[in-house]
Amino acid sequence: MSGQSDPRGSAFSAAELEFLAEDEMIEIVPNLRIKPLSLICGDFGPFQPQIPTQVPIWLAVALKKRGKCTIRPPDWMSVEKLTQVLEAERDSASSFEALPFHYVEISRLLFDHARDDVPEVYMVRSLIEDIKDVRFHKIGTGLEKLSSRTYAMKLNLSAMEVNVIRPFVTGSLETFYELTAPEIIQESQREEYRRPQTADRGPRRELRR
Amino acid sequence: MYGRKASQLLKEFVSGEPGQLTGFNNDVFAQVIEECDGNILHLQALLRKMQEEGSNNQTNKNADHFGALVHHLSLVRNKRCLMAYVYNRAEVIQNLGWTIKHADLPAAVKEKLSISENEYFGKHSSNLQSYMLDLNLDLAVDMVPPKDPYIKVRVLEEIGEVLLSDQIANLAMHSILFLKRIDAESFISQGKMEELTS
Amino acid sequence: MESEGTDDYETLISTTDADLLKRSWRNEKAAPEILQFQSSLVQRSREQIQLMEETVEELIANDEDPLTVSLYQMDIDRTLFLLRSYLRTRLQKIEKFMFHIQKAEDLWARLSRQEQKFAKQSIEDLKTHLEQSVLSKLPDRYQSHLKQSVISEEADMGIFFYLNCTYIQICMFANNLISMFS
Repeated sequence: MSGQSDPRGSAFSAAELEFLAEDEMIEIVPNLRIKPLSLICGDFGPFQPQIPTQVPIWLAVALKKRGKCTIRPPDWMSVEKLTQVLEAERDSASSFEALPFHYVEISRLLFDHARDDVPEVYMVRSLIEDIKDVRFHKIGTGLEKLSSRTYAMKLNLSAMEVNVIRPFVTGSLETFYELTAPEIIQESQREEYRRPQTADRGPRRELRR
Repeated sequence: MYGRKASQLLKEFVSGEPGQLTGFNNDVFAQVIEECDGNILHLQALLRKMQEEGSNNQTNKNADHFGALVHHLSLVRNKRCLMAYVYNRAEVIQNLGWTIKHADLPAAVKEKLSISENEYFGKHSSNLQSYMLDLNLDLAVDMVPPKDPYIKVRVLEEIGEVLLSDQIANLAMHSILFLKRIDAESFISQGKMEELTS
Repeated sequence: MESEGTDDYETLISTTDADLLKRSWRNEKAAPEILQFQSSLVQRSREQIQLMEETVEELIANDEDPLTVSLYQMDIDRTLFLLRSYLRTRLQKIEKFMFHIQKAEDLWARLSRQEQKFAKQSIEDLKTHLEQSVLSKLPDRYQSHLKQSVISEEADMGIFFYLNCTYIQICMFANNLISMFS
């Protein structure tokens, strides 16, 4: 089952995280006319030369690869904004600056496929690397404080960061469980019945032909 | 010492590559079963003796009582180990069913399975097949998220006109084209094309 | 759509079946226990995929530009992946926790009809395999796959079951915590 995530390891493989990030919206500037697209994941277009429009990243990358558009990097992907984020991350030992949940994957996708559309791309890339390092270091320190009394942590973590620590946190709690009284478990069983399920609110979009 | 052989089986399983099977250890497995047979003989003999002597095992806990207990515990422990050994191997076999059909099982893997494991693999994979048939959907494909099926390539050698899965393309030297990955792969591996990334 | 505000537009975008399917897939992947089967969502997604496949055939027949066709095809591929991976994740949980799921009525009720059929057969097959390989070779009073021996009072599936149970419970707890992150 290569490529599939191991049920007891990280919940999502790197490829799956990238897949999720590819659904995030981004602005493109087409250089040709394409009729509106009525896709399962939504309606996009019409595409007209020089008129910016919003599309999911996978669509932006597909058009970009074929030379049909330029991609406008999101606001947070500028040297100015990222420098601010990095400074704030370094100044505060515990809090995390707000970056998009998929900032690591989104920036990698743009570096791979739209390098020429990112101003000062080398600088941007190294800033993102630095931010990633600082944050991982902080997470590491934060996890040392994890204990059996930890019921919740509120952090602005990104998708990749959550994915990395998920197996560690579940593993630690499992060990705490083995070492402590079974009260926690009973509580968690009660919790189970209250777990919210995915709300299926029925179709919002008419089926089209 | 009772229980040692059984734990040897588990150690053997754990030391293997995760997801890979070593040959089913019939030899040690049979020795553990033999140990269990010995345990039950001793256990029954001791119980019989206690009964004949009319000793009440609630009030009078003598050497025979504890001897019987040791044999019982040894049996229970051996059972756990044997079950764990077979069950953990069965989990690996379940995973195999996602990638290989029973008929296509390579001989090298097949000879690592016991007779019952082989049978189990066949049953489990046909159970999986019948679920997919009920749904009319093949779940054994698309194991990883899809990527753009087309890639940008540069032709490095004069290849000429070729019928591809979706088009007839003129693969002239130095030309840059968009081809389906599956069409381009063989040319790339022969060194006749290279993939271009931005 | 032009007349609607941005908020309405956002709501519309975020409640497509594609989004609901993605959410269900994500939840199912992240949760250690099996969740309620999203029966009508799966049904609708399959209908949409089929409609789109027909649309693509029409586009090809009408000599639509290949770029548009491949964009539609990529959209179908993405949805198909989500659907397959969702169903696959569930079956793998059933494989792993079948005895536990069968025993817990609330978990059993979360399975689709086809999944229940699959689970029943899986349990039958594994039981037969365990009996043939181990249990039939043990003394009479130690042959249950649910108890250690006839004198055991509590149900005990052996070491593997115990581990699975602990794992499920602790993860239910941990997952509540983790879900606060994401």
